[in-house]
Amino acid sequence: MELSKIEIITSSSKLSKLQSALTKVGVTGMTVMQAIGCGVQRGTYEYLPEENVEMELLPKTYIMLIVEDHIVEKAVETIKKELYTGHIGDGKIFVSPITNVIRVRTGEEGLDALK
Amino acid sequence: MNKKLGLFSAIATGVGLIVATSCLMSLGQGASILGTGFIITMIIACAINILTALSMAELNALMPNLTGGLAQYTLAGMGPFVTILTMVGGYLVCQMIAGTVECAMFGNAINSVFDTGIPSWVFSVAMVVILIFANLRGVDIFAKIQNVVAYVLIGSLMIMGILGTLGIGTGEQVSQPSNLADTIPDTFGLLGLAFFLFIGCEFVIPIAKSIKNERRNVPLGMVLSLVIILLMQIFLVVGMTKYTAYEDLGASASPHILFGTALLGRFGSYWMILVSALAVVSTVNSAMSSFSFMCAGMAKINLLPTFFLKKNKRGAYYIGILGIGLVEIIANAVGLSTSDSLIFMINVAIVFWMVSYVISNINVVIFRARLPKAPRTFKVPFGPVLPIIAAIGTAFMIWNISDDPAQRLLIFEIDGIIFVLLGIYSVLWCKFRVKRPLFTPIPMHEVMAMESDMYLAARRKKKD
Repeated sequence: MELSKIEIITSSSKLSKLQSALTKVGVTGMTVMQAIGCGVQRGTYEYLPEENVEMELLPKTYIMLIVEDHIVEKAVETIKKELYTGHIGDGKIFVSPITNVIRVRTGEEGLDALK
Repeated sequence: MNKKLGLFSAIATGVGLIVATSCLMSLGQGASILGTGFIITMIIACAINILTALSMAELNALMPNLTGGLAQYTLAGMGPFVTILTMVGGYLVCQMIAGTVECAMFGNAINSVFDTGIPSWVFSVAMVVILIFANLRGVDIFAKIQNVVAYVLIGSLMIMGILGTLGIGTGEQVSQPSNLADTIPDTFGLLGLAFFLFIGCEFVIPIAKSIKNERRNVPLGMVLSLVIILLMQIFLVVGMTKYTAYEDLGASASPHILFGTALLGRFGSYWMILVSALAVVSTVNSAMSSFSFMCAGMAKINLLPTFFLKKNKRGAYYIGILGIGLVEIIANAVGLSTSDSLIFMINVAIVFWMVSYVISNINVVIFRARLPKAPRTFKVPFGPVLPIIAAIGTAFMIWNISDDPAQRLLIFEIDGIIFVLLGIYSVLWCKFRVKRPLFTPIPMHEVMAMESDMYLAARRKKKD
């Protein structure tokens, strides 16, 4: 199987820009969910002098896409550049292999299910 | 924010921001000493500044949308001591001196045409006083027409330069050799002077947010602005060598008006006085306002005293406005009108500017090593080679700040004393106020966080 899953957690303000940039590199679909969460800073706002002791979950957007392996690198580069502001909270990208994809309507599997 | 400015607007804004009328003083001086040989000097200075512009674009891509600009990059790159020394102190001192020279050009321009019998400094001081009041009232009298004025100035100079180059002015041409430089090294001696013609491309960065496709248009706009300015100045130099005697050109405190008169007679002088007077007022006005904002921005990141953040009822940062206004008044009142003293002031000031450019180029190299994988929407090509060439080139221009060794030494002595004073301030400020090691860089995410108004407020609250 030559497919990978890219998961992105970022702030919701970036979504529309990311959407159009990914379309340009050949991504054909994505799933978006509203989420809450925090990273290593435990949800501390970047301007605060001390880090939260307890985790504070902040509103985020979770984006999931399945792409062919050969565009993973290009897609990740695009995502990095679109999400980058240099501020804490720009987000994280997770890339993992996919063992199969099945289109329920037709029963097609693997790459065919994405076309 | 609506992204509405295209590449053309980016270029137009860049050109408008880079050219000031005091540049014409350097141009006249350069042309009077080297003739068309000064073109080689300008090409070298422009090329080095293009490389620096690319470095600025990369720094902006790495740390976008910062108001403090070069200071914040340096804070994250080299720590508070170097930042205060070169960017806060040096850059602000330089802005004060450059603004002062620009003011002096106003009085000189009026007297060179109208011969009023009133000392030039009176006009300069009167203008500064009016602009102080306007800025304190929070009225930006030139905000709307500033760019138009700058374009008219550039357009006028371009047309005059072309008319002069083609030899189709109404005035009489002078008979003198066009080139006074025998060898290429002869042209190096005025590199410092030529540098002044191309500074200020970093002012484009704050408007990056409102430029369409900023990744491409910001660096391209900066580079094309510099190239257009170079072309305009090449035409002017050629025109000046044909229409103005070198002796007169070198002695003139407003060479653009001298050239305008020689080229087109009385009409030329009126044309230039009108355009340049408007340009001077608008430049000094915006410099005064941006100086106060720059001080406030640096106070926000704890590098200057917080009184620079104080606003009057009209919302103006009055300490910064009064500070620069006072310096401009005093410096002009003590007699800053001859071309020699103005050129000397320019040379003293631009060393600081050049040092800040050297540091910016080094910052690019530091960040390349420290954050090799950080996404950069713009990256200077060929690895660290071009920023290193730009840093060395700018350092070479500092060394060639004047063709007169005695004057060069004097410039270095004055700048050295100012740097020592700034160094003392920097050490004390770092130790007692910033309370951070002098040379340890502040983490980039913290520098980015300083941009928030809440950063200082949250720390004050904690202290209380």
